[in-house]
Amino acid sequence: MTGRRTAQVCLTLGGLIAWAIQFTIIYGVTSTLCGRGWADTALLGMGAVQITILLATLTALAAAAILLIVSLRQERQQRDHPASATDTFLNESGVLINGLSLVVILWHGVPAVILPACA
Amino acid sequence: MFLWTVPVAGCGGVQSALDPAGGDAWDLYRLTIVMTVGATLIFVFVTALLLYAVFAPPERRAWLGTRRTIVYGGLAFPIVVLSLLLPYGLVVMRDTDVPQPGALQIEVTGEQYWWRVRYPAEGDQAEFSTANELIVPIGRPITVSVTAADVIHSFWIPNLGGKIDMIPGRINRFNFTAERPGLYRGICAEFCGAQHARMAFDVMVLEPTEFEVWRQSQAQPAQEPAIPHLARGRDLFRAGGCGSCHMVRGTEANGQFGPDLTHVGSRRTIGAGQFPNNVGTLAGWIANVQQIKPGAKMPSYGSLTGEDLRAMAGYLESLK
Repeated sequence: MTGRRTAQVCLTLGGLIAWAIQFTIIYGVTSTLCGRGWADTALLGMGAVQITILLATLTALAAAAILLIVSLRQERQQRDHPASATDTFLNESGVLINGLSLVVILWHGVPAVILPACA
Repeated sequence: MFLWTVPVAGCGGVQSALDPAGGDAWDLYRLTIVMTVGATLIFVFVTALLLYAVFAPPERRAWLGTRRTIVYGGLAFPIVVLSLLLPYGLVVMRDTDVPQPGALQIEVTGEQYWWRVRYPAEGDQAEFSTANELIVPIGRPITVSVTAADVIHSFWIPNLGGKIDMIPGRINRFNFTAERPGLYRGICAEFCGAQHARMAFDVMVLEPTEFEVWRQSQAQPAQEPAIPHLARGRDLFRAGGCGSCHMVRGTEANGQFGPDLTHVGSRRTIGAGQFPNNVGTLAGWIANVQQIKPGAKMPSYGSLTGEDLRAMAGYLESLK
């Protein structure tokens, strides 16, 4: 696979990777802090669980949003300059996957706002 | 008519999440109805579209394959629906099962295949233990602290709230307020072994004054047998070593392994909600427990004579 194609695949799957990292951090940190009884530890005026989820969610949202913007730009460029079937597939998949990842990352962060830590 | 009776047969009664008897249970009931009605409408709509896509003439169904239809119907619509349902479900989860100040504390331990129930001391009221029954006052918040002695069980009173896991070495808490007096049935909602399906308990919601009377009577030690027949039962209970597993407060029977039998005669059922409590079922239980509930920790005492069995069952039944 060429370097361009590798970058294209990474861009297409980037949103999913951001979501997977957010998912792992949220579940791992919440389980550890709640299991060890450290959930009430306050950082910057917030509970350790909430602040971890907030930071992980905002970072993942920012990453997915950037990837979505880049994917949309590529997809728009492709309209002006006809591309191969593979390029078209990867570009359109990138828009779809990064857009959906944005939504799912947001969904994973919502419980931290509504539910108490370790609920 | 017959077909309609099948789905609605479980909508009422002593063990039904569709017949809520408390505020938390009502919130869960409304959530269930919203989810079920919504899912049904969407299912019917999508099925209709599917049939339309299969049977409609090609020129009329062409719009189903357009980009706009896929983006709005296949992406935007599910995202909007799920984005509304997620916070709704989370808010219900947050607002139910909230600990209330002044709640009556009850501790329940799940064991294969029965429920150890302890009412801790409160004010002048002494602590006591019972089994396979939960008696609560109407209108007062209740906090049930649950754990398990052997394997994972799950504590569920469908009419009064959601289920909560009972995990060995961990204490989970379940909060509810009963708002309608009556009899309800709780069950184990996590497969816990061969007799999982026979692990139930009674829940009685009483008026506060009735509850206080019950609580005071439960804190009392067992009464002495009133007649020789019952005294013979007590002696057999003692001689048979039953007291090494069971406690009867006020006697030398101080076992902790099995259910506390101090007031077993006052319970509505025996065998963790399996049989009505009377001399006959008690005698049958003592003689045949391994046939009735194979795998229970208590052995069958089938070698007792009929007379001895009646005396022992009579003694237990007299422990009101």
